[in-house]
Amino acid sequence: MTATVQTRARIGPVAANPYPWPYDGSVDAARTALICIDWQVDFCGPGGYVDRMGYDIGLTRAGLPATARMLEHARATGMLVIHTREGHSPDLSDLPANKRWRSARIGAEIGSAGPAGRILVRGEPGWQIVPEVAPVPGEVLLDKPGKGAFYATNLDLVLRTNGITHLVLTGITTDVCVHTTMREANDRGYECLVLSDCTGATDPANHDAALHMVTMQGGVFGAVATSTAVIEGTTR
Amino acid sequence: MRTVPADPYPFEFDPAGTALLIIDMQRDFVEPGGFGETLGNDVSWLQAVVPPLQRVLATAREVGLTVIHTREGHVPDLSDCPPAKLNRGEPSLRIGEPGPKGRILVRGEYGHDIIDELAPLPGELVVDKPGKGSFHGTSLGAELAELGVTSLVVTGVTTEVCVHTTVREANDRGYECLVLSDCVGSYFPEFQRVGLEMISAQGGIFGWVAPSSAFLAALTLQEVPS
Repeated sequence: MTATVQTRARIGPVAANPYPWPYDGSVDAARTALICIDWQVDFCGPGGYVDRMGYDIGLTRAGLPATARMLEHARATGMLVIHTREGHSPDLSDLPANKRWRSARIGAEIGSAGPAGRILVRGEPGWQIVPEVAPVPGEVLLDKPGKGAFYATNLDLVLRTNGITHLVLTGITTDVCVHTTMREANDRGYECLVLSDCTGATDPANHDAALHMVTMQGGVFGAVATSTAVIEGTTR
Repeated sequence: MRTVPADPYPFEFDPAGTALLIIDMQRDFVEPGGFGETLGNDVSWLQAVVPPLQRVLATAREVGLTVIHTREGHVPDLSDCPPAKLNRGEPSLRIGEPGPKGRILVRGEYGHDIIDELAPLPGELVVDKPGKGSFHGTSLGAELAELGVTSLVVTGVTTEVCVHTTVREANDRGYECLVLSDCVGSYFPEFQRVGLEMISAQGGIFGWVAPSSAFLAALTLQEVPS
């Protein structure tokens, strides 16, 4: 089948907290990117690294159905779709010593043999994106060595080259990689919306607190909405 | 090496490779009558940070630790202020507008400068930053590399915004960060608590947390060899 991409779709105003998103009323879907952060087996797949650390992966998987729906919407409306993966090169030359040391302390040393291949190493089974939200050909895949998707990556170049000014964020975990990326994006002038039903954390209290922090002081990092609000707030 | 009892485990540092980072202790955020208070915030939560931070700063200077101050603000023509930051929400006072202590968040204005109690000394690095993070759009990374600094003792305001953003940036860059719990402050007690918890969660995913008393005890064991 041939997907019909509607290039004239506009997003906004979206019912969001603390202000109808975006700040400038509405935006072309083509100037908006959907960023799917670290939906990797190691973080939310059975037998991955987070599973092995003893966390309930039901919490990190909770956002998968809504994210899959949001991905369909993004593809149908012509948003740029970007998937990120946290990981390190096989020789670990891009792994800071303290990150390695801390991961070893909690029994899941980066680079060591894990339940789904070497933990957080690029190319290993555990590092792959889970099938529920897998990329399709033509979407941007971005590998990052840290929590933030901007540091030591070409994300800013990709966004500017594609004329992107607004970002919609999904992924895991809310308080770590999603928040770090949203903060980086905000400082670079991108107008950000994080989706409450398309994110998740290993600790539900941290998920809630992280979303709450976004909404304070008039939206210090942007705004929070549901995927349904984005879909309903899109005009085709 | 010195060792500070910290959460989630002891923080080890070499004073010669460590800097005290004091984030955004600016009049507009901390003082009564400033921008922060005009937004409806209770600045007393931030003022509580000043006395312990004065003690840490005095001791850091005595032992010769590198001291770095940051200030959030924009150039007077606002050419470095993203439209989303300028126009988001409906602020009663927009960046660049005249406020009680000068133009809001504009470099060179009285309210933009650091409070007298923590005023930088000549020779101390003052980093002006356009965002919440201290690394983006600044020379901080280059300055730290030049100084040979690999560990940061992080203080300032506010805990969940500029302190957290800076610690996240530093952590991805491989710096070891110790956040001093009584020397960082938030307008919101709940965010102060969860902000500190998030730093040390998951085996110290962003770094370490300790009270200033623990850091000072470790720092004053002996003077830093020159």
